[in-house]
Amino acid sequence: MSGPTGRIPWSLPERTDRRRAVVDAGLAAVPTALAVALGVVPLAVLLVESLSPPVTLSNYAALGESVYLPVLVRSLGVGVVITGACLAVAYPVTYWLAHVCPVRYRLPILISFTLPLWLNYVVLNYTWVWILATDGIVNTVLTAGGLVDRPLDLLRTASGIGIGPVELPGPSVGLGFVHIYLPYVLLTMYVSMERLDYRQVEAARDLGAGGLRVFRDVVVPETYAGAVAGALIVYARIAGAFATPQILASPSEQMIAQIITTQFYDVLDYPFAAAVSVVFLVVVLVGFGIGALSTDVRAELKRW
Amino acid sequence: MVNPVAETSDRTGAAGWVRRHAVAALRGGFFRTTVVATAVFLYLPVVVVGYLSLSPGSQPSIPLDGVTLRWYGAVLSDARFVRGLVTSGVIGVVAAVAGTGLGLLAARTIVRARLPGWLRASVAVVVAIPLFVPTVVVALGIGITAGRVGIGFGLVPVVAGHLYWVLPFSTFLIASRYATIDRRMAEVARDLGADGVTTFRTITLPQLWPALVASVLFAFALSFNEFLLTFFLAGSGVTTMPLEIYGKVRIGATSFLNAASVLVLLFSGAVAAVAASLEPPT
Repeated sequence: MSGPTGRIPWSLPERTDRRRAVVDAGLAAVPTALAVALGVVPLAVLLVESLSPPVTLSNYAALGESVYLPVLVRSLGVGVVITGACLAVAYPVTYWLAHVCPVRYRLPILISFTLPLWLNYVVLNYTWVWILATDGIVNTVLTAGGLVDRPLDLLRTASGIGIGPVELPGPSVGLGFVHIYLPYVLLTMYVSMERLDYRQVEAARDLGAGGLRVFRDVVVPETYAGAVAGALIVYARIAGAFATPQILASPSEQMIAQIITTQFYDVLDYPFAAAVSVVFLVVVLVGFGIGALSTDVRAELKRW
Repeated sequence: MVNPVAETSDRTGAAGWVRRHAVAALRGGFFRTTVVATAVFLYLPVVVVGYLSLSPGSQPSIPLDGVTLRWYGAVLSDARFVRGLVTSGVIGVVAAVAGTGLGLLAARTIVRARLPGWLRASVAVVVAIPLFVPTVVVALGIGITAGRVGIGFGLVPVVAGHLYWVLPFSTFLIASRYATIDRRMAEVARDLGADGVTTFRTITLPQLWPALVASVLFAFALSFNEFLLTFFLAGSGVTTMPLEIYGKVRIGATSFLNAASVLVLLFSGAVAAVAASLEPPT
């Protein structure tokens, strides 16, 4: 890659510069070629496919009329609810970790909270089956303790609470999702929370602010960028998840990735699957665009 | 209207002292409860599966009516599962090493290359696609493309897909380290007559080393655990560990699956522990 080796005469800086630029471009081309072949080209193929045969919008029209539009809306709703739940847990936990916990325990606890990021999510989802099944741990404890007469239907049951297609996730799929995505949010929030100057909290308390007031007027304004960044990181993954609803959701709680997979694998309707994907992608990207409008959030995302 | 002075004096008095400490204790209790509950929530499922994997029957009953390791033996002598594990391991090593190499090139391009800013920024965006495009969309796109181009499905598309999947993580991990290196050191080496390769090998590489090791480990874990992309690209000939586990979940093979899960979790956990001991995540 260095061509003729040896001393580069520094009396010819221009030629050296040009040669080094060529080397740099050559080195850049390798990963870029892979990324273009597996990222840009497939997305272009998807777009073309969704408009086929030759050029038609019929696949999009079919999506508008099908039962799949509510599935898309429900998936996005699940993304919002689970992201909110993760943030609700992450706020007190990271606050405690960054400002209350003794310093020498901070790193071990943070590592133990983020260790599940390394674990297999199919396996992690599966572990909930044995906790929530009718003969699982929770129901065994509840029935043995005489708290319920017969086992509760916790596994693969829809919540039935919601408006239209937007419905709260059932217990098993909800717990499974939070279990997988909470570590991501904890990690993003911790970075933000650590930068919050604790003296601001103390000052607000000395001035008579209560816990909620401190949270609303000091903690949130100082850390919202981390919260939004964390939300952006997990939101699309939740809405587009396949394994979790497949393993833990009731059949009535189908999500968009399951539709796409079925169309690809069983129905073999590539154009329709592509149209569903393109619509989903556009919705997700719009969400990203809105989130990334804030420069604070962009700075936070750059860390990832 | 509350008189601010009265309120202040109330807070400095004995009643205020008691109240403040009561509130502090309550607040401490709330935070500690949340933290403990989160830890239990994250680890309880793993503990439960570990416990149930010791069941003598193929369908565990709670509480267990005995303790045995026979399902671990069954997992390790199951040819299909072991083949999936080995395939995942091999793909993982390829993705970790080659992905880190590609990530190094991409990181160098983004941070250091003598190329126009817009070009470096577009490389960063193209590499980052798997981070902001939902995996199912990437997977479907690659799947349809593989079918249309005629590469078909199998090991080669899976490996390529995994390389692309780990690329953004290794790129940005290495880039953040690359950006902290003083570029003048490399310039000095070149002024003293070292060529590009020598400069990189003796000056830049040693400083990047921790990031490269972290990238290899993290990329291995990402690839080893990857499910959805593989599901779209594997076809019928290739099976990986996550595909095997998913197949077993669908047919409901319970004690076998519990033992297999524990083995997989222990293995990933060991990789993570090595990574954590090398470099703190913050």
